[in-house]
Amino acid sequence: MKKYLFVTKNSLAEYFTYRLNFVLWRVRVVISVLITFFLWQTIYSGRREIFNYNQSQMMTYVILLSFISAVVMSTQTFRVAEEINSGSLSNFLIRPLSYFRFNLSRDLADKIINIIFATIEVPLIILIFRPPFFWQTNPLNLILFFFSLVLSTLLFFEISMLLSLIGFWSREVWAPRFIFFILIAFLAGTYFPLDIVPAPLYSFLKLLPFTYLVFFPLRIYLGGVSVSFMATGLAVSSSWIFVLYFIMRKVWRNGLKIYTAEGK
Amino acid sequence: MSVISVSRLKKYFRVFKRKEGLLPTLKSLVKRPFETVKAVDDISFNIEEGELVGFIGPNGAGKTTTLKCLSGLLYPSEGKVRVLNYEPFKRDSRYLKQISLVMGQKNQLWWDLPSVESFRLNKEIYDLSENEYQKNLKELSELLDVGDLGKVPVRQLSLGQRMKMELIAALIHHPKVLFLDEPTIGLDIVMQKKMRDFIANYNRIHKATIILTSHYMADVKELAKRVIIIDRGRLIYDGNLVNLGRKYADHKVITAHFEKAVNGENFKHLGKIKTVNEKSLVLTVPKSKAISIATDLLNNYRIRDFDIEEPELEDIISIIFSHKTS
Repeated sequence: MKKYLFVTKNSLAEYFTYRLNFVLWRVRVVISVLITFFLWQTIYSGRREIFNYNQSQMMTYVILLSFISAVVMSTQTFRVAEEINSGSLSNFLIRPLSYFRFNLSRDLADKIINIIFATIEVPLIILIFRPPFFWQTNPLNLILFFFSLVLSTLLFFEISMLLSLIGFWSREVWAPRFIFFILIAFLAGTYFPLDIVPAPLYSFLKLLPFTYLVFFPLRIYLGGVSVSFMATGLAVSSSWIFVLYFIMRKVWRNGLKIYTAEGK
Repeated sequence: MSVISVSRLKKYFRVFKRKEGLLPTLKSLVKRPFETVKAVDDISFNIEEGELVGFIGPNGAGKTTTLKCLSGLLYPSEGKVRVLNYEPFKRDSRYLKQISLVMGQKNQLWWDLPSVESFRLNKEIYDLSENEYQKNLKELSELLDVGDLGKVPVRQLSLGQRMKMELIAALIHHPKVLFLDEPTIGLDIVMQKKMRDFIANYNRIHKATIILTSHYMADVKELAKRVIIIDRGRLIYDGNLVNLGRKYADHKVITAHFEKAVNGENFKHLGKIKTVNEKSLVLTVPKSKAISIATDLLNNYRIRDFDIEEPELEDIISIIFSHKTS
Protein backbone atom coordinates (compact mmCIF):
# COMPACT_ATOMS: atom_id res chain seq x y z
CA MET A 1 0.00 0.00 0.00
CA LYS A 2 1.47 3.21 -1.21
CA LYS A 3 0.14 5.37 1.62
CA TYR A 4 2.10 3.39 4.18
CA LEU A 5 5.27 3.71 2.11
CA PHE A 6 4.76 7.45 2.38
CA VAL A 7 4.50 7.17 6.14
CA THR A 8 7.84 5.35 6.19
CA LYS A 9 9.35 7.92 3.84
CA ASN A 10 8.13 10.86 5.93
CA SER A 11 9.33 9.20 9.14
CA LEU A 12 12.77 8.74 7.59
CA ALA A 13 12.82 12.39 6.57
CA GLU A 14 11.88 13.33 10.12
CA TYR A 15 14.99 11.57 11.37
CA PHE A 16 17.33 13.88 9.59
CA THR A 17 16.15 16.80 11.69
CA TYR A 18 17.28 15.02 14.84
CA ARG A 19 20.60 13.58 13.70
CA LEU A 20 22.48 14.28 16.90
CA ASN A 21 19.82 12.60 19.02
CA PHE A 22 20.04 9.54 16.89
CA VAL A 23 23.84 9.32 16.85
CA LEU A 24 23.88 9.62 20.64
CA TRP A 25 21.33 6.82 20.88
CA ARG A 26 23.57 4.55 18.79
CA VAL A 27 26.58 5.49 20.94
CA ARG A 28 24.59 4.32 23.95
CA VAL A 29 23.83 1.02 22.26
CA VAL A 30 27.46 0.44 21.30
CA ILE A 31 28.70 1.29 24.79
CA SER A 32 26.27 -1.12 26.41
CA VAL A 33 27.34 -3.87 24.00
CA LEU A 34 30.98 -3.16 24.76
CA ILE A 35 30.38 -3.34 28.50
CA THR A 36 28.74 -6.75 28.21
CA PHE A 37 31.49 -7.77 25.81
CA PHE A 38 34.36 -6.91 28.17
CA LEU A 39 32.51 -8.39 31.12
CA TRP A 40 32.24 -11.75 29.42
CA GLN A 41 35.81 -11.53 28.10
CA THR A 42 37.01 -11.19 31.67
CA ILE A 43 34.84 -14.06 32.84
CA TYR A 44 36.27 -16.27 30.11
CA SER A 45 39.92 -15.47 30.78
CA GLY A 46 41.61 -18.82 31.22
CA ARG A 47 38.47 -20.89 30.75
CA ARG A 48 37.29 -22.64 27.64
CA GLU A 49 33.65 -23.13 28.39
CA ILE A 50 31.06 -21.65 30.74
CA PHE A 51 27.47 -22.95 30.91
CA ASN A 52 28.06 -24.94 27.74
CA TYR A 53 29.03 -21.81 25.82
CA ASN A 54 32.54 -21.54 24.50
CA GLN A 55 34.11 -18.12 24.27
CA SER A 56 33.44 -17.55 20.59
CA GLN A 57 29.77 -18.46 20.97
CA MET A 58 29.34 -16.11 23.90
CA MET A 59 31.17 -13.25 22.18
CA THR A 60 29.08 -13.73 19.07
CA TYR A 61 25.93 -13.69 21.19
CA VAL A 62 26.91 -10.42 22.79
CA ILE A 63 27.98 -8.69 19.60
CA LEU A 64 24.96 -9.77 17.60
CA LEU A 65 22.75 -8.40 20.37
CA SER A 66 23.22 -4.90 19.00
CA PHE A 67 22.09 -6.03 15.57
CA ILE A 68 19.11 -7.94 16.92
CA SER A 69 17.89 -5.10 19.09
CA ALA A 70 18.11 -2.77 16.10
CA VAL A 71 15.89 -5.08 14.07
CA VAL A 72 13.48 -6.15 16.78
CA MET A 73 13.38 -3.46 19.42
CA SER A 74 13.66 -0.17 17.58
CA THR A 75 10.24 1.40 17.71
CA GLN A 76 8.24 4.59 17.79
CA THR A 77 5.22 3.00 19.43
CA PHE A 78 5.85 4.87 22.67
CA ARG A 79 4.34 7.81 20.79
CA VAL A 80 1.01 6.00 20.68
CA ALA A 81 0.35 6.64 24.38
CA GLU A 82 1.20 10.29 23.91
CA GLU A 83 -1.07 10.51 20.88
CA ILE A 84 -3.94 8.97 22.80
CA ASN A 85 -3.46 11.25 25.80
CA SER A 86 -2.99 14.46 23.86
CA GLY A 87 -5.95 13.68 21.62
CA SER A 88 -3.93 13.82 18.42
CA LEU A 89 -5.05 10.25 17.79
CA SER A 90 -8.14 11.98 16.40
CA ASN A 91 -6.10 13.10 13.43
CA PHE A 92 -5.53 9.47 12.51
CA LEU A 93 -9.06 8.29 13.23
CA ILE A 94 -10.57 10.94 11.02
CA ARG A 95 -8.70 9.67 7.96
CA PRO A 96 -9.16 6.39 6.09
CA LEU A 97 -6.01 4.93 7.54
CA SER A 98 -5.25 1.92 9.69
CA TYR A 99 -3.53 3.12 12.82
CA PHE A 100 -1.77 -0.23 13.28
CA ARG A 101 -0.32 -0.22 9.79
CA PHE A 102 0.59 3.40 10.26
CA ASN A 103 2.59 2.42 13.33
CA LEU A 104 4.20 -0.51 11.58
CA SER A 105 5.28 1.83 8.78
CA ARG A 106 6.59 4.40 11.22
CA ASP A 107 8.52 1.64 13.01
CA LEU A 108 9.90 0.42 9.72
CA ALA A 109 11.65 3.77 9.25
CA ASP A 110 13.12 3.44 12.72
CA LYS A 111 14.32 -0.06 11.97
CA ILE A 112 15.84 0.83 8.60
CA ILE A 113 18.03 3.52 10.13
CA ASN A 114 19.00 1.41 13.13
CA ILE A 115 19.83 -1.58 10.95
CA ILE A 116 22.03 0.53 8.70
CA PHE A 117 23.98 1.71 11.73
CA ALA A 118 24.16 -1.76 13.27
CA THR A 119 25.53 -3.31 10.08
CA ILE A 120 28.32 -0.75 10.19
CA GLU A 121 28.95 -1.12 13.92
CA VAL A 122 29.09 -4.90 14.14
CA PRO A 123 31.93 -5.35 11.59
CA LEU A 124 33.74 -2.39 13.19
CA ILE A 125 33.59 -3.98 16.64
CA ILE A 126 34.83 -7.26 15.19
CA LEU A 127 37.66 -5.51 13.32
CA ILE A 128 38.79 -3.43 16.28
CA PHE A 129 38.51 -5.92 19.14
CA ARG A 130 39.10 -9.08 17.12
CA PRO A 131 36.98 -11.32 19.31
CA PRO A 132 36.58 -14.98 18.39
CA PHE A 133 33.50 -14.59 16.21
CA PHE A 134 31.40 -17.52 15.09
CA TRP A 135 30.21 -17.41 11.48
CA GLN A 136 27.19 -19.60 10.92
CA THR A 137 27.37 -21.31 7.53
CA ASN A 138 24.53 -23.83 7.71
CA PRO A 139 21.85 -22.45 5.32
CA LEU A 140 19.00 -23.96 7.38
CA ASN A 141 20.13 -22.12 10.50
CA LEU A 142 20.59 -18.89 8.58
CA ILE A 143 17.19 -19.07 6.93
CA LEU A 144 15.45 -19.90 10.21
CA PHE A 145 17.44 -17.16 11.93
CA PHE A 146 16.08 -14.52 9.58
CA PHE A 147 12.61 -16.00 9.68
CA SER A 148 12.56 -15.96 13.47
CA LEU A 149 13.75 -12.34 13.39
CA VAL A 150 10.60 -11.43 11.47
CA LEU A 151 8.48 -13.20 14.09
CA SER A 152 10.37 -11.49 16.92
CA THR A 153 9.75 -8.13 15.30
CA LEU A 154 6.01 -8.71 15.07
CA LEU A 155 5.91 -10.03 18.61
CA PHE A 156 7.75 -7.03 19.97
CA PHE A 157 5.50 -4.67 18.03
CA GLU A 158 2.42 -6.22 19.59
CA ILE A 159 3.81 -6.13 23.12
CA SER A 160 4.92 -2.54 22.77
CA MET A 161 1.61 -1.47 21.23
CA LEU A 162 -0.32 -3.15 24.03
CA LEU A 163 1.72 -1.27 26.61
CA SER A 164 1.06 2.01 24.88
CA LEU A 165 -2.65 1.33 24.58
CA ILE A 166 -2.77 1.60 28.37
CA GLY A 167 -2.98 5.28 27.47
CA PHE A 168 -6.71 4.86 26.91
CA TRP A 169 -7.21 4.11 30.58
CA SER A 170 -4.41 5.96 32.28
CA ARG A 171 -2.30 9.02 31.70
CA GLU A 172 0.63 7.33 33.36
CA VAL A 173 2.01 5.08 30.68
CA TRP A 174 5.66 5.96 30.96
CA ALA A 175 6.26 4.15 34.26
CA PRO A 176 4.65 0.81 33.35
CA ARG A 177 6.45 0.86 30.01
CA PHE A 178 9.77 1.55 31.68
CA ILE A 179 9.43 -1.19 34.26
CA PHE A 180 8.11 -3.63 31.75
CA PHE A 181 11.00 -3.06 29.36
CA ILE A 182 13.54 -3.64 32.08
CA LEU A 183 11.75 -6.91 32.75
CA ILE A 184 11.63 -7.74 29.06
CA ALA A 185 15.32 -7.00 28.64
CA PHE A 186 16.00 -9.54 31.34
CA LEU A 187 13.54 -12.19 30.18
CA ALA A 188 14.40 -11.81 26.52
CA GLY A 189 18.04 -12.61 27.11
CA THR A 190 19.78 -9.30 26.52
CA TYR A 191 22.02 -9.79 29.56
CA PHE A 192 22.87 -13.46 29.15
CA PRO A 193 21.70 -16.44 27.09
CA LEU A 194 18.57 -17.83 28.74
CA ASP A 195 19.61 -21.48 28.63
CA ILE A 196 22.22 -20.94 31.33
CA VAL A 197 19.49 -20.74 34.00
CA PRO A 198 18.33 -23.91 35.84
CA ALA A 199 16.44 -26.30 33.59
CA PRO A 200 12.96 -26.00 35.18
CA LEU A 201 13.10 -22.21 34.95
CA TYR A 202 14.35 -22.40 31.38
CA SER A 203 11.43 -24.66 30.34
CA PHE A 204 9.07 -22.14 31.87
CA LEU A 205 10.76 -19.23 30.08
CA LYS A 206 10.32 -21.06 26.80
CA LEU A 207 6.57 -20.71 27.21
CA LEU A 208 6.73 -16.93 27.55
CA PRO A 209 6.73 -14.67 24.49
CA PHE A 210 9.79 -12.71 25.66
CA THR A 211 12.20 -15.57 25.09
CA TYR A 212 11.49 -15.27 21.40
CA LEU A 213 12.39 -11.63 21.15
CA VAL A 214 16.17 -11.95 21.39
CA PHE A 215 17.39 -15.24 22.75
CA PHE A 216 15.62 -17.54 20.32
CA PRO A 217 16.90 -16.06 17.03
CA LEU A 218 20.41 -15.82 18.46
CA ARG A 219 20.29 -19.41 19.65
CA ILE A 220 19.33 -20.51 16.14
CA TYR A 221 22.22 -18.51 14.69
CA LEU A 222 24.72 -20.07 17.09
CA GLY A 223 23.51 -23.52 16.10
CA GLY A 224 24.09 -26.71 18.02
CA VAL A 225 20.36 -27.01 18.68
CA SER A 226 17.99 -29.72 17.55
CA VAL A 227 15.50 -29.26 14.74
CA SER A 228 12.71 -29.97 17.20
CA PHE A 229 13.94 -27.08 19.39
CA MET A 230 13.69 -24.73 16.44
CA ALA A 231 10.32 -26.07 15.30
CA THR A 232 8.77 -25.85 18.79
CA GLY A 233 10.14 -22.35 19.22
CA LEU A 234 8.73 -21.14 15.93
CA ALA A 235 5.38 -22.69 16.80
CA VAL A 236 5.27 -21.10 20.26
CA SER A 237 6.24 -17.65 19.01
CA SER A 238 3.74 -17.84 16.14
CA SER A 239 1.01 -18.76 18.60
CA TRP A 240 1.91 -15.80 20.76
CA ILE A 241 1.77 -13.50 17.74
CA PHE A 242 -1.66 -14.86 16.97
CA VAL A 243 -2.98 -14.56 20.53
CA LEU A 244 -1.52 -11.10 21.13
CA TYR A 245 -2.92 -9.90 17.82
CA PHE A 246 -6.45 -10.65 18.99
CA ILE A 247 -5.83 -9.18 22.42
CA MET A 248 -4.45 -6.06 20.79
CA ARG A 249 -7.51 -5.69 18.52
CA LYS A 250 -9.83 -6.18 21.46
CA VAL A 251 -8.00 -3.70 23.67
CA TRP A 252 -7.93 -1.19 20.82
CA ARG A 253 -11.68 -1.50 20.20
CA ASN A 254 -12.51 -1.16 23.89
CA GLY A 255 -10.12 1.74 24.16
CA LEU A 256 -11.77 3.54 21.27
CA LYS A 257 -15.14 3.19 22.96
CA ILE A 258 -13.94 5.14 25.94
CA TYR A 259 -11.58 7.40 24.00
CA THR A 260 -12.67 10.87 24.87
CA ALA A 261 -10.47 12.75 22.41
CA GLU A 262 -9.16 14.96 25.16
CA GLY A 263 -7.37 18.24 24.82
CA LYS A 264 -10.44 19.40 22.92
CA MET B 1 -32.66 12.77 2.67
CA SER B 2 -30.66 14.98 4.99
CA VAL B 3 -26.90 14.92 4.82
CA ILE B 4 -26.67 14.96 8.60
CA SER B 5 -29.34 13.62 10.86
CA VAL B 6 -29.04 13.42 14.60
CA SER B 7 -31.81 12.05 16.70
CA ARG B 8 -31.90 11.97 20.46
CA LEU B 9 -28.13 11.93 20.71
CA LYS B 10 -26.71 11.51 24.18
CA LYS B 11 -23.08 11.34 25.22
CA TYR B 12 -22.31 10.81 28.87
CA PHE B 13 -18.81 10.71 30.32
CA ARG B 14 -17.71 9.19 33.56
CA VAL B 15 -15.36 11.58 35.24
CA PHE B 16 -13.34 10.65 38.27
CA LYS B 17 -13.51 13.18 41.03
CA ARG B 18 -10.09 14.27 42.16
CA LYS B 19 -9.70 15.54 45.64
CA GLU B 20 -7.12 17.89 46.98
CA GLY B 21 -4.62 16.99 49.65
CA LEU B 22 -2.38 14.00 50.14
CA LEU B 23 -4.68 11.71 52.14
CA PRO B 24 -7.75 12.02 49.90
CA THR B 25 -5.49 11.46 46.89
CA LEU B 26 -4.16 8.26 48.43
CA LYS B 27 -7.69 7.16 49.27
CA SER B 28 -8.74 7.76 45.71
CA LEU B 29 -6.15 5.20 44.61
CA VAL B 30 -8.26 2.53 46.25
CA LYS B 31 -11.71 3.86 45.70
CA ARG B 32 -12.32 6.31 42.91
CA PRO B 33 -15.62 8.13 43.13
CA PHE B 34 -16.88 9.27 39.77
CA GLU B 35 -19.71 11.32 38.47
CA THR B 36 -21.52 11.22 35.17
CA VAL B 37 -21.21 14.31 33.03
CA LYS B 38 -23.94 14.78 30.48
CA ALA B 39 -21.90 16.41 27.73
CA VAL B 40 -24.67 15.98 25.17
CA ASP B 41 -28.12 15.31 26.47
CA ASP B 42 -30.85 14.41 24.01
CA ILE B 43 -30.13 16.53 20.97
CA SER B 44 -31.89 16.18 17.60
CA PHE B 45 -31.44 18.10 14.34
CA ASN B 46 -31.14 17.64 10.58
CA ILE B 47 -28.86 19.42 8.19
CA GLU B 48 -29.35 19.52 4.43
CA GLU B 49 -26.76 19.49 1.69
CA GLY B 50 -24.84 22.72 1.25
CA GLU B 51 -25.97 24.25 4.53
CA LEU B 52 -23.51 26.16 6.67
CA VAL B 53 -24.61 25.90 10.27
CA GLY B 54 -23.12 27.68 13.26
CA PHE B 55 -22.90 25.91 16.59
CA ILE B 56 -23.01 28.30 19.51
CA GLY B 57 -22.77 27.74 23.21
CA PRO B 58 -20.59 28.58 26.21
CA ASN B 59 -17.49 26.52 27.02
CA GLY B 60 -18.42 23.00 27.94
CA ALA B 61 -21.85 23.25 26.31
CA GLY B 62 -21.27 20.12 24.26
CA LYS B 63 -20.43 21.61 20.86
CA THR B 64 -17.14 19.80 20.38
CA THR B 65 -18.58 16.57 21.76
CA THR B 66 -21.38 16.71 19.18
CA LEU B 67 -18.86 17.30 16.38
CA LYS B 68 -16.80 14.38 17.60
CA CYS B 69 -19.83 12.11 17.55
CA LEU B 70 -20.61 13.26 14.02
CA SER B 71 -17.09 12.66 12.78
CA GLY B 72 -16.88 9.21 14.32
CA LEU B 73 -14.37 9.97 17.07
CA LEU B 74 -16.76 9.38 19.91
CA TYR B 75 -19.12 6.56 20.51
CA PRO B 76 -22.60 7.92 21.25
CA SER B 77 -24.03 6.78 24.60
CA GLU B 78 -27.51 6.77 23.11
CA GLY B 79 -29.38 7.99 20.07
CA LYS B 80 -28.88 7.80 16.34
CA VAL B 81 -26.38 9.69 14.23
CA ARG B 82 -26.23 9.40 10.47
CA VAL B 83 -24.02 11.40 8.17
CA LEU B 84 -24.14 10.82 4.39
CA ASN B 85 -26.10 7.73 5.29
CA TYR B 86 -23.24 6.23 7.28
CA GLU B 87 -22.89 5.52 10.94
CA PRO B 88 -19.89 7.68 11.81
CA PHE B 89 -18.50 5.54 14.61
CA LYS B 90 -18.00 2.58 12.27
CA ARG B 91 -15.45 4.74 10.47
CA ASP B 92 -16.09 3.16 7.09
CA SER B 93 -13.29 4.36 4.81
CA ARG B 94 -15.85 5.32 2.14
CA TYR B 95 -17.33 7.64 4.77
CA LEU B 96 -14.03 9.05 5.98
CA LYS B 97 -13.06 9.91 2.42
CA GLN B 98 -15.99 12.32 2.21
CA ILE B 99 -15.57 14.21 5.45
CA SER B 100 -13.02 16.24 7.31
CA LEU B 101 -12.64 17.64 10.79
CA VAL B 102 -10.51 20.67 11.47
CA MET B 103 -9.69 21.39 15.06
CA GLY B 104 -8.15 24.77 15.66
CA GLN B 105 -5.91 23.40 18.37
CA LYS B 106 -4.87 20.07 16.86
CA ASN B 107 -2.53 19.57 13.99
CA GLN B 108 -2.11 16.72 11.62
CA LEU B 109 0.89 18.19 9.80
CA TRP B 110 4.29 16.59 10.35
CA TRP B 111 5.97 19.12 12.57
CA ASP B 112 9.51 18.81 11.21
CA LEU B 113 8.70 18.45 7.55
CA PRO B 114 7.51 20.89 4.89
CA SER B 115 3.70 20.85 4.64
CA VAL B 116 3.81 19.41 1.10
CA GLU B 117 5.01 16.13 2.58
CA SER B 118 1.84 15.95 4.67
CA PHE B 119 -0.28 16.91 1.65
CA ARG B 120 1.40 14.17 -0.39
CA LEU B 121 0.68 11.61 2.29
CA ASN B 122 -2.96 12.68 2.32
CA LYS B 123 -3.04 12.38 -1.45
CA GLU B 124 -2.20 8.69 -0.99
CA ILE B 125 -4.51 8.23 1.98
CA TYR B 126 -7.47 9.65 0.07
CA ASP B 127 -6.54 7.91 -3.19
CA LEU B 128 -6.32 11.08 -5.25
CA SER B 129 -4.92 11.00 -8.77
CA GLU B 130 -1.97 13.27 -9.46
CA ASN B 131 -4.29 15.49 -11.53
CA GLU B 132 -6.93 15.84 -8.82
CA TYR B 133 -4.24 16.48 -6.25
CA GLN B 134 -2.54 19.20 -8.27
CA LYS B 135 -5.86 20.81 -9.12
CA ASN B 136 -7.13 20.83 -5.52
CA LEU B 137 -3.80 21.99 -4.16
CA LYS B 138 -3.67 24.87 -6.64
CA GLU B 139 -7.23 25.92 -5.88
CA LEU B 140 -6.77 25.80 -2.10
CA SER B 141 -3.40 27.55 -2.25
CA GLU B 142 -4.94 30.37 -4.26
CA LEU B 143 -8.01 30.68 -2.05
CA LEU B 144 -5.80 30.86 1.02
CA ASP B 145 -3.03 32.83 -0.66
CA VAL B 146 -0.15 30.77 0.68
CA GLY B 147 2.40 31.03 -2.15
CA ASP B 148 5.44 28.86 -1.60
CA LEU B 149 4.95 28.27 2.11
CA GLY B 150 4.33 24.57 1.48
CA LYS B 151 8.06 24.06 1.13
CA VAL B 152 8.88 25.51 4.55
CA PRO B 153 9.11 23.10 7.52
CA VAL B 154 5.93 23.41 9.56
CA ARG B 155 7.72 24.34 12.78
CA GLN B 156 9.01 27.52 11.11
CA LEU B 157 5.54 28.78 10.18
CA SER B 158 3.54 31.33 12.15
CA LEU B 159 0.28 30.25 13.77
CA GLY B 160 -1.80 31.82 11.00
CA GLN B 161 0.28 30.25 8.25
CA ARG B 162 0.13 26.89 9.97
CA MET B 163 -3.65 27.10 10.25
CA LYS B 164 -3.87 27.71 6.51
CA MET B 165 -1.69 24.67 5.88
CA GLU B 166 -3.84 22.59 8.22
CA LEU B 167 -6.86 23.62 6.19
CA ILE B 168 -5.20 22.63 2.92
CA ALA B 169 -4.27 19.24 4.38
CA ALA B 170 -7.81 18.75 5.68
CA LEU B 171 -9.49 19.80 2.44
CA ILE B 172 -7.17 18.36 -0.18
CA HIS B 173 -9.68 15.58 -0.85
CA HIS B 174 -12.58 18.02 -1.23
CA PRO B 175 -14.78 16.67 1.56
CA LYS B 176 -18.54 16.91 1.13
CA VAL B 177 -19.04 17.40 4.84
CA LEU B 178 -16.77 19.57 6.88
CA PHE B 179 -16.65 19.97 10.64
CA LEU B 180 -14.81 23.07 11.79
CA ASP B 181 -14.07 23.30 15.48
CA GLU B 182 -12.86 26.77 16.41
CA PRO B 183 -11.04 27.32 13.12
CA THR B 184 -10.17 30.92 13.94
CA ILE B 185 -8.96 30.44 17.50
CA GLY B 186 -5.79 32.38 18.26
CA LEU B 187 -5.71 34.17 14.93
CA ASP B 188 -5.50 37.94 14.61
CA ILE B 189 -8.42 39.96 13.23
CA VAL B 190 -7.06 40.09 9.68
CA MET B 191 -6.42 36.36 9.55
CA GLN B 192 -9.84 35.65 11.09
CA LYS B 193 -11.44 37.61 8.29
CA LYS B 194 -9.45 35.75 5.63
CA MET B 195 -10.35 32.44 7.17
CA ARG B 196 -14.04 33.36 7.15
CA ASP B 197 -13.90 34.42 3.51
CA PHE B 198 -12.26 31.14 2.69
CA ILE B 199 -14.90 29.06 4.49
CA ALA B 200 -17.70 30.99 2.78
CA ASN B 201 -16.06 30.47 -0.62
CA TYR B 202 -15.46 26.80 -0.05
CA ASN B 203 -19.09 26.32 0.97
CA ARG B 204 -20.30 28.19 -2.12
CA ILE B 205 -17.98 26.61 -4.70
CA HIS B 206 -18.28 23.00 -3.56
CA LYS B 207 -21.80 22.95 -2.12
CA ALA B 208 -20.14 21.48 0.96
CA THR B 209 -22.15 20.97 4.11
CA ILE B 210 -20.36 22.70 6.96
CA ILE B 211 -20.81 22.83 10.70
CA LEU B 212 -18.80 25.47 12.44
CA THR B 213 -18.26 26.09 16.11
CA SER B 214 -16.69 29.27 17.28
CA HIS B 215 -16.21 31.51 20.25
CA TYR B 216 -16.13 34.52 18.00
CA MET B 217 -19.65 35.61 17.29
CA ALA B 218 -18.36 37.43 14.21
CA ASP B 219 -17.56 34.06 12.61
CA VAL B 220 -21.09 32.85 13.05
CA LYS B 221 -22.75 36.14 12.18
CA GLU B 222 -20.89 36.43 8.93
CA LEU B 223 -21.00 32.82 7.83
CA ALA B 224 -24.06 31.01 9.06
CA LYS B 225 -27.67 31.61 8.13
CA ARG B 226 -28.76 28.98 10.58
CA VAL B 227 -27.57 28.54 14.13
CA ILE B 228 -27.93 25.79 16.64
CA ILE B 229 -27.52 26.91 20.21
CA ILE B 230 -26.53 24.40 22.84
CA ASP B 231 -26.20 24.90 26.55
CA ARG B 232 -25.21 22.21 29.03
CA GLY B 233 -25.74 19.49 26.52
CA ARG B 234 -29.23 20.58 25.55
CA LEU B 235 -30.41 22.17 22.36
CA ILE B 236 -32.10 25.46 23.10
CA TYR B 237 -32.45 27.08 19.70
CA ASP B 238 -32.30 25.81 16.15
CA GLY B 239 -33.20 28.15 13.38
CA ASN B 240 -32.54 31.21 11.33
CA LEU B 241 -30.13 33.76 12.69
CA VAL B 242 -32.37 36.66 11.66
CA ASN B 243 -35.38 35.17 13.44
CA LEU B 244 -33.29 34.72 16.52
CA GLY B 245 -32.65 38.46 16.47
CA ARG B 246 -36.39 39.19 16.09
CA LYS B 247 -37.39 36.77 18.78
CA TYR B 248 -35.26 38.57 21.27
CA ALA B 249 -35.72 42.04 19.83
CA ASP B 250 -37.89 42.93 22.79
CA HIS B 251 -34.72 43.97 24.58
CA LYS B 252 -32.65 47.12 24.48
CA VAL B 253 -29.09 47.75 25.50
CA ILE B 254 -28.46 50.83 27.61
CA THR B 255 -24.97 52.22 27.95
CA ALA B 256 -24.26 54.92 30.50
CA HIS B 257 -21.00 56.70 31.37
CA PHE B 258 -21.10 58.40 34.74
CA GLU B 259 -19.20 61.40 35.93
CA LYS B 260 -18.50 59.86 39.31
CA ALA B 261 -17.78 56.30 40.33
CA VAL B 262 -20.88 54.21 41.01
CA ASN B 263 -21.63 50.91 42.70
CA GLY B 264 -22.69 48.19 40.25
CA GLU B 265 -24.89 46.57 42.89
CA ASN B 266 -27.33 49.47 42.65
CA PHE B 267 -28.37 48.55 39.10
CA LYS B 268 -28.96 44.87 39.52
CA HIS B 269 -32.73 45.22 39.85
CA LEU B 270 -33.02 47.17 36.58
CA GLY B 271 -32.00 44.44 34.13
CA LYS B 272 -29.15 42.16 33.13
CA ILE B 273 -25.81 43.83 33.68
CA LYS B 274 -23.51 43.16 30.76
CA THR B 275 -20.48 45.04 31.96
CA VAL B 276 -19.97 47.40 34.83
CA ASN B 277 -16.95 49.22 36.12
CA GLU B 278 -16.39 52.34 38.19
CA LYS B 279 -17.72 54.88 35.77
CA SER B 280 -19.67 53.00 33.12
CA LEU B 281 -22.49 50.53 32.86
CA VAL B 282 -23.92 48.40 30.06
CA LEU B 283 -27.35 47.01 30.78
CA THR B 284 -29.75 44.80 28.84
CA VAL B 285 -33.35 45.60 29.68
CA PRO B 286 -36.80 44.66 28.37
CA LYS B 287 -37.93 47.02 25.61
CA SER B 288 -41.12 48.02 27.46
CA LYS B 289 -39.17 49.24 30.44
CA ALA B 290 -36.35 50.87 28.51
CA ILE B 291 -37.73 54.40 28.66
CA SER B 292 -38.60 54.41 32.32
CA ILE B 293 -35.22 52.92 33.24
CA ALA B 294 -33.46 55.49 31.08
CA THR B 295 -35.35 58.35 32.73
CA ASP B 296 -34.62 56.91 36.10
CA LEU B 297 -30.90 56.76 35.39
CA LEU B 298 -30.77 60.26 33.91
CA ASN B 299 -32.65 61.74 36.86
CA ASN B 300 -30.67 60.07 39.60
CA TYR B 301 -27.10 60.17 38.32
CA ARG B 302 -24.78 62.70 36.77
CA ILE B 303 -24.24 61.19 33.35
CA ARG B 304 -21.57 62.16 30.85
CA ASP B 305 -22.75 60.03 27.94
CA PHE B 306 -25.78 57.88 27.27
CA ASP B 307 -26.97 55.39 24.60
CA ILE B 308 -29.93 53.12 23.90
CA GLU B 309 -29.35 50.46 21.19
CA GLU B 310 -30.74 47.31 19.64
CA PRO B 311 -29.04 44.26 21.12
CA GLU B 312 -26.13 42.69 19.25
CA LEU B 313 -26.05 38.99 18.56
CA GLU B 314 -23.69 38.60 21.51
CA ASP B 315 -26.28 40.24 23.77
CA ILE B 316 -29.03 38.03 22.46
CA ILE B 317 -26.98 34.95 23.14
CA SER B 318 -26.14 36.12 26.64
CA ILE B 319 -29.83 36.86 27.29
CA ILE B 320 -30.67 33.34 26.20
CA PHE B 321 -28.06 31.79 28.42
CA SER B 322 -28.99 33.94 31.41
CA HIS B 323 -32.64 32.88 31.06
CA LYS B 324 -31.55 29.30 31.05
CA THR B 325 -29.45 29.60 34.14
CA SER B 326 -31.84 31.70 36.20
